Amino acid sequence: MLGRMEGRYDVVIVGGGPAGLAAAIGAREGGAGRCLVIDREPEAGGILLQCIHSGFGLHYFKQELTGPEYAERFLLDALEHDVDVVPDSYVCGIGLDSDGEKRVRVLSDHYGLRTVSCRAVVLCMGCRERTRGAIRIPGTRPSGVLTAGLAQKFTNMMGYLPGRRVAILGSGDIGLIMARRLVLEGCEVVGVFELMPYSNGLTRNVVQCLDDFGIPLNLSTTVTEIMGQDRLSGIKVAPVGPGFKPDMSSERTIDCDTLLLSIGLIPENELSQSLGISLDVTTKGPIVNSTLETSLPGVFACGNVLHVHDLVDFVTGEALRAGRHAGEYSRGIRRAQDNIKLVPGDNVRYCLPHSLSTGHEHQIFMRCKEPMKPCEIIVGDIMRKRLSFVVPAEMIMFRIKPDALEHFQGDTLRIDIRPIEK
Amino acid sequence: MSDSKNFTCIGCPIGCPLQLTHEGRDILEIEGHQCNRGAKYAQQEFRDPRRFLSTTVAIDGARWKRLPVKVTAPVPKDRVVEAAVEIHRLSVSAPVALGQVLIRDLLGEKGVDVVATRTMQRV
Repeated sequence: MLGRMEGRYDVVIVGGGPAGLAAAIGAREGGAGRCLVIDREPEAGGILLQCIHSGFGLHYFKQELTGPEYAERFLLDALEHDVDVVPDSYVCGIGLDSDGEKRVRVLSDHYGLRTVSCRAVVLCMGCRERTRGAIRIPGTRPSGVLTAGLAQKFTNMMGYLPGRRVAILGSGDIGLIMARRLVLEGCEVVGVFELMPYSNGLTRNVVQCLDDFGIPLNLSTTVTEIMGQDRLSGIKVAPVGPGFKPDMSSERTIDCDTLLLSIGLIPENELSQSLGISLDVTTKGPIVNSTLETSLPGVFACGNVLHVHDLVDFVTGEALRAGRHAGEYSRGIRRAQDNIKLVPGDNVRYCLPHSLSTGHEHQIFMRCKEPMKPCEIIVGDIMRKRLSFVVPAEMIMFRIKPDALEHFQGDTLRIDIRPIEK
Repeated sequence: MSDSKNFTCIGCPIGCPLQLTHEGRDILEIEGHQCNRGAKYAQQEFRDPRRFLSTTVAIDGARWKRLPVKVTAPVPKDRVVEAAVEIHRLSVSAPVALGQVLIRDLLGEKGVDVVATRTMQRV
């Protein structure tokens, strides 16, 4: 289904996945008159369309939906908000006028090459999977080595099985979900191999995707060689010692024709970089203020392009907020500049947003470096919060109320996670 | 003679290791849980373990080759693979509506229907 593409909008949204669709709804609610969503795939919905398992929407809809169901609800909601959604189209650049107007260059299957002008842009390009090249696995370069998400699209949408006898490197949730998925499609999954001493996926996925089907999870183990000429014929794996150095004396061969990689996600920020937007070296996403606005005024970011989320429900919440701020911006409403920097401290890998302002409530997203239990989040001298545990795979979220910041005099707020003595 | 079974709780990311002691069908003791969800989960897993199931079926006349589907109620854990094999025998034609019932009472399980989880238009 193809929406209109006019010459001028209040807000243009790059990417029609869950973040883009929610940002469009948020922008309309924030007062944007005309709103356009541009998506490069043949239909909006993003990666949700290939995530056919359930587990989405527990926080937002208070019920468990599959990915396609979640996507369809948001697409219909965006259309009801009178948003134009144009698929098969690619944003190849954004120009800036001296008066703050943005000129979005769109290459569209249907409309050809167009320039759309707008007041505000929301970046919702999502993330992409890390590939073999990112971890440099030694060996030959046969077919049969692919990312778990690509295998998911082949299996769930295009109707191709990636192979018959499958090994999986990395225990991220996509890898675990694909292990079960391929067993149900008649493949044999010979094992999941994880470099870390703990799984990077949710416990429920380890139990229901691996344990239920008797698939072994090999922790502190990595792939040391890829073998095969035209097609993958097998892999070698070895346990890792200190410093993740493989112990080659215990190397063993695994017979398989397919290797799926589930080794992490990276925000897709080529467009952001071409605009000169400042990125955070840890999240690999833009640096944003408390309205989720990037270093470029009027350009906002949300969802997995900003930082990789665990749950789509959290993406939705963040994108509704980013969209609302973009909608307000397009109507000329500006908030005073943030006056407090937010910085990560002990056992904090990152925290978002990068700055706060007094007089507002703030939603904080953060991740720890190492598992810890029980522990306490310490926000400068204004707030403490006890947690029974933290793990890197679980995003930590909390709010800072306006009155907590009221008497804060400094210009930098540091967040630490420290253990509590039992 | 009592016997024991081990489960990992899926109630939250802590993943408590649960140990259930039983004599035949009678539960004697549940240990290892840090909250009530753990005890309830171990009970359910012991008495009648069930799982939801999502998969795809072949579709023609649509943009994609596969249509995502799910069961509307959980199936017994030991029949999950059998259920998937049965669902895969199905082939449908576009258009299909979100929620459209494709199979009723899967494997004779009352109330376990297979429904489409998205709309797919005819192209």
